[in-house]
Amino acid sequence: MTAISVTATIAPGRRQLVNVRRQLLLTAKMRVLMLLGMFALVALCALMRIALLGVLEPATSRQSMADALLPPRGDIVDRNGVALARAFPAYSLWFNPNAMGDGGPPLVKSPREVAAGLVQIFPGEDQARLEAILSSGQAGYLRRRILPEEANRVHALGEPAIESPFENERLYPQGSLAAHVLGFVAADGHGRVGMEQVYDRHLTDPASRGSPAVLSLDMRVQGALEDELERGMRETEAIGAAGIVLDVDSGEVLALASLPSFNPNLIDGAGAANIFNRFTNQVYELGSTFKPITIAAAIDAGVVTDFSRRYPSDKPLKVGNQQIRDSHTLGASLNIPEALIHSSNIVTAQVADQLGSERMNATMRSLGMNERPYIELPARGFPLWPSGQWSRITTMTVSYGHGIAVTPLHLASAYATMVNGGIWRPATLEKLAPGQIPEGRRVWKASTSARMRQLLRMIVVDGTGRKADAPGYRVGGKTGSAEKPGANGYRKSSLVATFAAAFPMDRPRYVIIAMLDEPKGTAATSGQRTAAWNTAPIVGRVVPRIGPLLGVMPDDGRDVDISDLSPLVSGGASE
Amino acid sequence: MNFNRDHVRSIGWAFVLTVCFAMTMALTVRVNALKSEVRLAERQLISLRRERIFLETEIETRGNQQQLRALNDIEFGYQAPTSDQYLASERQLALLGKPAAADAPAPVRVAAAIDDTEQLPFAAMVSPLTGKASATETKQELREKPVDAAGLARRLSQAPRREATQE
Repeated sequence: MTAISVTATIAPGRRQLVNVRRQLLLTAKMRVLMLLGMFALVALCALMRIALLGVLEPATSRQSMADALLPPRGDIVDRNGVALARAFPAYSLWFNPNAMGDGGPPLVKSPREVAAGLVQIFPGEDQARLEAILSSGQAGYLRRRILPEEANRVHALGEPAIESPFENERLYPQGSLAAHVLGFVAADGHGRVGMEQVYDRHLTDPASRGSPAVLSLDMRVQGALEDELERGMRETEAIGAAGIVLDVDSGEVLALASLPSFNPNLIDGAGAANIFNRFTNQVYELGSTFKPITIAAAIDAGVVTDFSRRYPSDKPLKVGNQQIRDSHTLGASLNIPEALIHSSNIVTAQVADQLGSERMNATMRSLGMNERPYIELPARGFPLWPSGQWSRITTMTVSYGHGIAVTPLHLASAYATMVNGGIWRPATLEKLAPGQIPEGRRVWKASTSARMRQLLRMIVVDGTGRKADAPGYRVGGKTGSAEKPGANGYRKSSLVATFAAAFPMDRPRYVIIAMLDEPKGTAATSGQRTAAWNTAPIVGRVVPRIGPLLGVMPDDGRDVDISDLSPLVSGGASE
Repeated sequence: MNFNRDHVRSIGWAFVLTVCFAMTMALTVRVNALKSEVRLAERQLISLRRERIFLETEIETRGNQQQLRALNDIEFGYQAPTSDQYLASERQLALLGKPAAADAPAPVRVAAAIDDTEQLPFAAMVSPLTGKASATETKQELREKPVDAAGLARRLSQAPRREATQE
């Protein structure tokens, strides 16, 4: 009984203990389960995330590769693919005071130390200016353009607030070369002055800017032309120079220069003053270079049929109350080849008088001398064209390039017409495929053109253009030295010297024109100011440099046949 | 548990569906991985293209016409070749030929001594027609046609006759 009572006393206590233990175990299990559940949830989330990343396409906020490779503005290249203007991601140097993002000072070091460090990288920089920007706390450019190696050195300074972000730059790798043809891009992102303005839509349209605009220029030819024009300008202390190399059969411009030039990479005050294009925009009285045009018109009209016919040349020609003279007396009489070789105003005026004002006027019109020159450039000068019915004296003065002012580009197109068989074509700066060459309009007969080739060659062989005679290249051309008009008539001291030429004369391929504005008589030109002494040598130096590049090889055993005309020239033009 | 035929079929279809789904998922994951690789490659291409533009532009700028001219003026002084340095056609080549002047020295003639005893480096080839060594034949031919002015004149004089016989 006692034993039973003891057992009965213990049993409730043990049961209680068992219950507590069970509850504790249950709690522990619940906690483990909760922990496992949490782990499972995390694992599930991770798996779902992986599945999402793997199954669904990642967000495509970025642009496509084609868009990324599309330049912000299309390139301009020359006829051989040499880049003349290109979009270029350039580094700039920018101060961002909020780069640290902690509200503290923007720079790690003091502004003075950082400015000193920058001056070591950019020696020309003003330290005080940099220090002022860095201590102002305002964001701004420290420098607009820096080189990649300079950007690396700036990063080495260890200043997060000095950043070098990419910016789209318009870069002209050739510097000032062909600047008047190319133009530049203004701050508003649109082209100005040259082909940048003409092609603005093509270069900015996303559909077309991926392919570069191809110009007819050849940079090697452009380089040679500008080089020699610059030399001529320096030697004669001229205020300006201009020139062109033009394909006579297609009208493509291979080089076009107007000096002094400007740097399209940096348009400053000095550069802006030189933006005016002398070759396409400035009109000049181009003087004696017009004489071959008059003679060609007379030959074509049948006025000149006998080249041995002699015209009086020893006395000034009186027309009304005006007199036409030569620079010096060239003899009692001259025939046509002699008149061109010695550049006689008197004989040319007589030929023009026989031709008549109507036919002279019609010839000039058919050469486009009464309208702006044909070229894509926006800067095209309007000629000073004698209005109304031409009087006798107007016809005679126009015949030797006075009383009419045109751009040198007008003259280039006229000379191309004169030597290419008589067909006038507009000049173009676009590279033309063989099928794109314009038909043009016939101004002269092919026989007239053939005769003019002989006469132009004779001028270089035995006349005023001797210094342009590059051996083997069969150059033909005509000099022109005209006084510039001033307030009180013509200024004796200011000349425009021009040499208009073509080569090779046995099968003309290119017209080349060199012009100097107000050349002085210097030791380099033996004290002379006329075209025979300053612009003819320029052509004589340019032709051997560009001829082989353009496929015209020198050949001493080849020339235009002048054997029928040379006996007519006193002294005999050598063949 | 009792599995009748319908149950087995349902489980089979479920299994097939599960397998297809798993394979589709695996394929999708693989495709997206490849797409990511392509994007990475595109990004590299763009970066390389930018680098190329940088380098091209630097070379073009450093080697522009004006820089080259300045370099030539200072360092080399090269000038455009003159016309007598060109020889563009046979006609120009022929122009160089001039008749010898009266008192001109006789042109130097180079003679070649043919050594019959010289051993050829390779085994002599035998002509399949004659059965003789071909080298021997060639040498005999040479001996028959001595290279001298008279021989040349003779051959030249024979040339039109051959053409005539061909006609």
